[in-house]
Amino acid sequence: MPGLEELLTHPGIWRGREAGSPTVPTRPSGLAQLDQALQGGWPRGQLTELIGGPFGSGETRILLPMLATCTRDQRRVVLVGPPATPWIPGWRQMGVDPELVLMIRTATEEDAVWSCEQILRQPGTGALLAWLRGTDGAPLRRLRLAASAGDACAFLYRPPAAAQQPSPAHLRIRWQGDGDHLRLEVIKQAGGWLPRNQPVMIPRNLLNHRCDP
Amino acid sequence: MAVWLPHLALDTLVQTGSAQPGPLIIVEDAARPRVHDGNRAARRAGVRPGMALAEALAVLNAPVVVDYEPETVQQHLQTLSTVLLQFSDHVCPEPGQQRILLETGRSLRLFRGLEALEQRVGDTLRQLGYSPRIGGARTPAMARLLAGLGHPERPRDRDGLRRVLTPLPLAALPLPAADIAALRGIGMTRIGELLRLPRGDLALRYGTRLPRLLDHLLGDVPEAMPRFQPPENPSFQLEFDQEVRSTGALRFPLKRLLLQLEQVLRAWHRGVQGLELQLLHREAETRLNLERSHPGSRAEEWLELWSIRLSRVSLPAPVRGMRLHAARLLPVAGDISGLFGNPGGTRDETGFLTRLRARLGDEAILRFVPTLHPLPEQAQEAWTSEAPPPAAPASATPAQRAAGAALWLHPLQPCPPPGSQAWLGRMEGGWWAGGNDQRRDYALARDHQGRLCWVFQDLRSGQWRLQGFWG
Repeated sequence: MPGLEELLTHPGIWRGREAGSPTVPTRPSGLAQLDQALQGGWPRGQLTELIGGPFGSGETRILLPMLATCTRDQRRVVLVGPPATPWIPGWRQMGVDPELVLMIRTATEEDAVWSCEQILRQPGTGALLAWLRGTDGAPLRRLRLAASAGDACAFLYRPPAAAQQPSPAHLRIRWQGDGDHLRLEVIKQAGGWLPRNQPVMIPRNLLNHRCDP
Repeated sequence: MAVWLPHLALDTLVQTGSAQPGPLIIVEDAARPRVHDGNRAARRAGVRPGMALAEALAVLNAPVVVDYEPETVQQHLQTLSTVLLQFSDHVCPEPGQQRILLETGRSLRLFRGLEALEQRVGDTLRQLGYSPRIGGARTPAMARLLAGLGHPERPRDRDGLRRVLTPLPLAALPLPAADIAALRGIGMTRIGELLRLPRGDLALRYGTRLPRLLDHLLGDVPEAMPRFQPPENPSFQLEFDQEVRSTGALRFPLKRLLLQLEQVLRAWHRGVQGLELQLLHREAETRLNLERSHPGSRAEEWLELWSIRLSRVSLPAPVRGMRLHAARLLPVAGDISGLFGNPGGTRDETGFLTRLRARLGDEAILRFVPTLHPLPEQAQEAWTSEAPPPAAPASATPAQRAAGAALWLHPLQPCPPPGSQAWLGRMEGGWWAGGNDQRRDYALARDHQGRLCWVFQDLRSGQWRLQGFWG
């Protein structure tokens, strides 16, 4: 059918099969299971949402192998508005260079989003970890734009309720502590096919290995 | 070279109103108020300096009336003198005349001639919002005369001076009106006729002022010019013709102040690291401070930072003026952009942190420096300064490693003994500091919410405490 072939060359038509190949640059997560589920690793220059609670279930630790490679590349790691103070000797034992870790305290959500934008646009940024409470809609789109201006991995920690809302993020992952494991469910992955029914179980004791000599 | 600023009082005011300004007059407050100067609209309507206020009000339609403030004008003259120090080391402001004299003989070669130098001086002042008239000659007296007349000649030797002076009318001389009238009375009309008369007889008849003036004009007797000493800490001030209610409208006048600052700093080869901005209200003032990591003088950089800072400020009252104060001047190292642009990215890097600091405050950006202390709550220090933190120990101490690689610290709080726990290690420390002897067994425990808590048991009291989260 020549008519159909012609129609398919129309630039406005997008075919799902073509999008299967990962075109987004990634940073390896350092965990084989996770790399497989994420098709290579944590996306760079894109927003990644980590949705869940409560704070302290292992959701920061899954990023640490990646953060360690960031600081090894002399890239900055910025924490915006974490609910607790980072204990830097612990980060260092996991291989993160303390000199390149920056924490930013903000009084309002608006300030937090503004700082995130500035940080993402800055060339030396390797990863941004931001704890946002009420942000959605337009500010998230602004952050997405800022993320695409640089090549940092941008992580937004959001409360469980955020899973129900639409979001412009490239990757959305729901996490929850589950016994000795941290259960990760990919709920959105732009341009990829999801193993929807298979959550990734990361054993929490696997996360305790140290990189410090 | 003489730089005359005939409308200095007007230049010190910032026109905040519309693009088509209405008449504005500056009034000297004397026993009989009289007009000091008027803007273009006022002058077009027939207002002249020296006119009585009542007459001016009769010809103008609803003018804005501003009081003449000699101190402000004085201060601006000082600022400009400092700015002009970049063109000559010998600058002499003449406050009563709103004029600044520059000894340019030694600068001519550097600036490639008098014309080029004049152009530079004029451009610099116009960029700062002033309207100068410049005259140049071999003698300061002659330069003054030419600046006042707007005369294009630039005589360089005695013959040239004489040739230029000869056709000028007597009224051009800076003499009291009575002296001019007396000279006219004996039939003189041009300066040239005066120059032909013997000076001694002139002195006998009209006093020494006239022959001394002629000597100064021709350079027969050198004229002493005091050297201007710039003030230690420069400050810059602008007043508005109307009250300003929004911070956005402050941007334009602030830019003018920052440009002045840039020029002054350039004259000194200095940069500033911190600036204080005072917003002057009717009764009070608002003080704002800004610090950055490295000294710099560029107006655009400072303007960007101040715009961020000002957008966070809510004005308690309308603003009538602003004053900029540079705290300490520092030698500039890296502020000159190199031949090949900006190598590396270090300056850009600190600029980014400075921007964050300008909006969020100095305490908002932290780094943590590991210490050697074994107690986890003291194993790191927060570092908020923009300077690089002190060098940290090369790696975690064995005592710190005994506590485990937890990621988050929580203020210490008692917790119930966990049902099950995974032991991490024993930490002992602080026995050298009186009464702070600690023995702790660290462990990981999962609470009912699924969090991994970083806890320890105090071996002295047997109590359990929450130290943080495993993360």
